[in-house]
Amino acid sequence: MLLADSSFANSVESNTQNQTGASNQNLPNEFMVLPFLILLFMIATGPLFYKHFWEKSFPKISVLLGSVTALYYIVVMKDLYSLHHTITEYISFIALLSSLYVASGGILIKIDKESTPIANVLFLLFGAIISNVIGTTGASMLLIRPFIKMNGERIRPYHIIFFIFIVGNIGGALTPIGDPPLFLGYLSGVPFFWVIANVWYIWVPTLIMVLILFFIIDSFKNSKIVKNNQTYTGKIEFKGIRNVGYLGAIVIAVFMDPNIFSFVPSMYPLPFGFRELIMFAVAFLSYKNANEKILKANEFNFTPIREVAYLFVGIFLTMIPALQLIAVFAKQNNEYFNVGLFFWASGSLSSFLDNAPTYLNFLSASMGKYDLHLNNKADVQDFVLIGSDYLRAISVGAVFFGAMTYIGNGPNFMIKSIAESSGIEMPSFMIYLFKYSIPVLLPIFTIIWILFFY
Amino acid sequence: MKKIEHTLKNNLDGLYFGNRIILPFHAHFLKVILENEIITDFSNSSEGVQVVEDDDFTSLYFLEIKSLKEKLSKFSSIKMVVCEKDKNIFDFSNHTKLVCYVKEKHKLVIEQLDQDITFIE
Repeated sequence: MLLADSSFANSVESNTQNQTGASNQNLPNEFMVLPFLILLFMIATGPLFYKHFWEKSFPKISVLLGSVTALYYIVVMKDLYSLHHTITEYISFIALLSSLYVASGGILIKIDKESTPIANVLFLLFGAIISNVIGTTGASMLLIRPFIKMNGERIRPYHIIFFIFIVGNIGGALTPIGDPPLFLGYLSGVPFFWVIANVWYIWVPTLIMVLILFFIIDSFKNSKIVKNNQTYTGKIEFKGIRNVGYLGAIVIAVFMDPNIFSFVPSMYPLPFGFRELIMFAVAFLSYKNANEKILKANEFNFTPIREVAYLFVGIFLTMIPALQLIAVFAKQNNEYFNVGLFFWASGSLSSFLDNAPTYLNFLSASMGKYDLHLNNKADVQDFVLIGSDYLRAISVGAVFFGAMTYIGNGPNFMIKSIAESSGIEMPSFMIYLFKYSIPVLLPIFTIIWILFFY
Repeated sequence: MKKIEHTLKNNLDGLYFGNRIILPFHAHFLKVILENEIITDFSNSSEGVQVVEDDDFTSLYFLEIKSLKEKLSKFSSIKMVVCEKDKNIFDFSNHTKLVCYVKEKHKLVIEQLDQDITFIE
């Protein structure tokens, strides 16, 4: 998921116990996982079997199911802390997502180049690299329209899906800016450059395998297309340079955290921090000052972000019990967990849950093997030295597996929505899972597991 | 029969009321996109878009929404792939991509697709 954890922004130390799960005495009832499962089930089946009801009602359903969990925590659990923490996470998530969406909506990139498989591979590779600088969300929002335009009438759903795999997820595994779990690790004490130094040699073969597969599919499909005689200048046009500044401001805002810079005021107990205020302000300024022609060309509207906001309010709230139960289970059973199991467990849960707290839960559980604690930065730094295999497995699992479903990572849904508004019929949740992510990604992740975590 | 070509050449506007748009031409409709909703069902079902032709204009009813004005934001548009009634629908070169913007006072501005806008047929 995106940089979702501003509760960490506010107080890493005090939050950790709840981040990593409730104590055994204060665990939610197992049945409280039901709202999350119902929501997940409806996300999967709604667009297939009751499309119109779902499209009309998903905001209400999401809020309703989220409210059931919220009420349970208020009335039965009397645990306002978990609720406050989740709302803080959610606001942070939406702040980053919406600000990057608005700022990139004021940028127009036109590529007058023939869409060939190799051009697409280079484009996706560029997206993967840049996602480590402006985050997977920023890179996705910036590049999805040029990618569609470059491919023109040749574009098919698989182009968009590989874009989700590479730019929206796997690409951002090299820096803490790339994907939120890694940023949370950074806030907890993992050195900034630890990720790139320890993950690059996994990132490179994974990316190569996904890109080769894309190249083969794209070449095969391309060979069937009758070429027109259109000429291309090869020119790349870039409009909206001011918004690049806004994007830069958002990236800088990511670090406006009291745990990083002591001069940044903590706004606790408010469910947002200084960082979120900057992000919303940048989004507002960026929209107000944007070139109207660019907004019109990008058909800028708030529908994709509104959809994500509604859907994820339900996801964030309903997954609180699931995360807490998983955290306790992982802690109680950490002696049975080897590196490979941490990779699969953090990965498979990140496919359906918020990968930021999932990362923290498993990080905490793996540190428990050495009697180290996540709420102690010195312990985290010790763990980086003695438990780097575990940290690597959890980092890679949490980021890579975000590509497995539409809800695995924030940008996934937005990329889908932009593609649909451009006229591309995207596959449903289940088709995405069974036709694309399982056949393509699962074998690659298995190879990665055998090579690095077995 | 009112033609698309005539509409574009003379910058004619359409109208919209509630979930209905009124286009000053007759055409074969192939695809309509409303935000991220891709509509290809123009049969007389209770879903998608219902097309009703009059002597001088064509009405499109978006059956699943109440108000286009509420649905569409400032830079959003209704995009469509259409074909002149007297032309061969099977020839792709006869397909025209239009973009419609809802403006104040029920005015619907109809434009040929701007090359900057991403729209895949």
